[in-house]
Amino acid sequence: MNKTALRMEDSHAGPVCILSIGGRIDSGNAADLLDRLNGLLAAGEKTILLDLKEVLYLTSAAFRVLLVATDEAERNAARVALCGLAGQVRELFEMGGLLEAFTIHGSREDALNRL
Amino acid sequence: MTRPPGLLYSVDDTPPWAVLVVASLQQVAVMSNSLTYPIILAREAGLSATHMLDFVSLSMLTLGIATVLLCARSRFIGCGYLCPAGYTQIYLGPSLFAVKIGGLALAYGMIIVAGFLQLAMAPMLRRMRALLPSEIAGLVIAIVGLSLASLGLQYGLGITDRSGFEPKHLAIAGVSLVTMIVLNIWTKGYAKMFCVLIGVSVGYVASAAFGLLDITPLLPEDGLGILRLPSVEYISWHFDFTLLAPFAVVAVATTLRAMGDIANAERLNDNEWVRPRFGPLAGGVAANGLASILCGIAGTTGLNTYSAAVGLSGATGITSRVVGYGAGVAFALLSLVPAAAVGFAALPAPVIGASMFFSSAFVFIAGLQMITARLLDSRKTIVIGLSFAMAVMADVYHDLFTHVPLVLQPIFDNGLVLGTVCAVLLNLIMRIGVRQRVTMKLDAGHVNRDTIERFLTEQGGRWGARREIISRAIFGVVQVLEVVGDVPEGTVVEASFDEFNLDVRVKYKGAPLIIPERKPTPREIIASEEGERLLAGYLLRQSADRINCKAFGNVAEVQLHYDH
Repeated sequence: MNKTALRMEDSHAGPVCILSIGGRIDSGNAADLLDRLNGLLAAGEKTILLDLKEVLYLTSAAFRVLLVATDEAERNAARVALCGLAGQVRELFEMGGLLEAFTIHGSREDALNRL
Repeated sequence: MTRPPGLLYSVDDTPPWAVLVVASLQQVAVMSNSLTYPIILAREAGLSATHMLDFVSLSMLTLGIATVLLCARSRFIGCGYLCPAGYTQIYLGPSLFAVKIGGLALAYGMIIVAGFLQLAMAPMLRRMRALLPSEIAGLVIAIVGLSLASLGLQYGLGITDRSGFEPKHLAIAGVSLVTMIVLNIWTKGYAKMFCVLIGVSVGYVASAAFGLLDITPLLPEDGLGILRLPSVEYISWHFDFTLLAPFAVVAVATTLRAMGDIANAERLNDNEWVRPRFGPLAGGVAANGLASILCGIAGTTGLNTYSAAVGLSGATGITSRVVGYGAGVAFALLSLVPAAAVGFAALPAPVIGASMFFSSAFVFIAGLQMITARLLDSRKTIVIGLSFAMAVMADVYHDLFTHVPLVLQPIFDNGLVLGTVCAVLLNLIMRIGVRQRVTMKLDAGHVNRDTIERFLTEQGGRWGARREIISRAIFGVVQVLEVVGDVPEGTVVEASFDEFNLDVRVKYKGAPLIIPERKPTPREIIASEEGERLLAGYLLRQSADRINCKAFGNVAEVQLHYDH
């Protein structure tokens, strides 16, 4: 399997829906991520935690999808949070000045304790 | 320079007096392990007890001066970091050989020659950088770590041949080593800072209890005075240019080890360390050369930076260069006290073994970290892997290598020298066919991210580029292509590299990109694709160290520069 291809897998921890994402997120697959997030919101999920621990990097298209999904969640009285930002992924959030635009937790365990 | 979180006193800090004194004595305790090598040389040369005392005292004096020279921060001499000196096994083989054919005088003379060769190499290090890249310095450090572990085990278990070990040695070394580890891992403050000194002291007491502390062979017939100036009357010097080749190899090997140790000392003080700076390297290697000349003049064996002492500074979080000055001055003063010379010379083998074994872990891991910070393709893997294997083989098949021609014996006699020589030669050979500038054409409709990633990753491996910089370049190219879109005429990606720069150019037919200075707001990014383009440009500007967009006729070019 191509380790840079986008991988998504959802699971539940109590009321929190965890979407584990791996690989690269760019304009070629950002729409797939948006579809998946919209699907979860449409299914009535109220708290979605995106675990980005396995993400290699993400481009501007991916950032836009994450912002759009967060905005959409807020309009549906739901919330989207992020965790597992490390290395280059965290640097890209910092470079884009986007750390403040999201609810970000350190590890998955940390996020589940707080959500 | 970013201070690592676990560091208690960094290179420019001056610790409080009490900490400074004890930390310096702790370095003295670790450095004194290296006195084993000159003592082996003196025993082989059959020195009397009185001359042995002079010899040990002079070895301590030069060790002290060398440590001050190495740690000094000046323009030409010294690396400016806590990088103490230590006698090295690298000199031992060729020196013993010189003693066999011409006595100690020939060994001293050739040590002076090796020192001059090293001194001459120092200003040329910058020009030799392609031949001595970071991963090879890392390899040298890793091999030093391994040889420290091997020696530590040998001393710690009292192994004199391969038939077995001494239970008393095992007990003493075990108590000493466990003390060091427990204090280092599960305590804080002074206990952690001085774990090795405490461990050595515990080992010394245990050795006395087990009856392994015997100073009588070291006592001169006329007894020990309180203070004593060591005599230099018995020292003379001879030169034999047939021994030039092995001592030239010694100069190269000690230079590489010094480079690795200085790089490690720099890395311990900087969380964002990427490569050694040539100023400290040249100053440190010059100081090492000068110190070895002094050793030859003062009648002792050659020395090198002491990896175990650098490892100790990492383990305890005290990397202040003032500690180096303290240790140097302490050694110089103690060289005038005969009782101290006897005390160091009598340091029980299991205690030496325990502290060597403890330090080896930190030295070995520091070497591995330096190696793995680089992308390693098949060529680099062969250079590092085979050289490491040869270093291990030199010890495993030591008897077999005694049959190599005499002139090559100093190389094959020592794992560190053999591994280093292999790495330098293999690196030279593997450079054949590696282009420093490469180009990839992406046809219209085939802008495949995997292809770009593979291209830059493989090329980065051939160049031995840093993993992190190649990842940033991959992001940059993918982000540029995302903004440029699928150009009907296709796109060309060109990358060039030297040890300090990675430059990537993306060429396409169309209008040049406009890179915004302003950061778009989240609202702007959500509102339209134009907001996303603004973010793309802003991310590109932030992620590259320099970005330029130019047009040549109808061809546009995005130039991404990354400092390496």
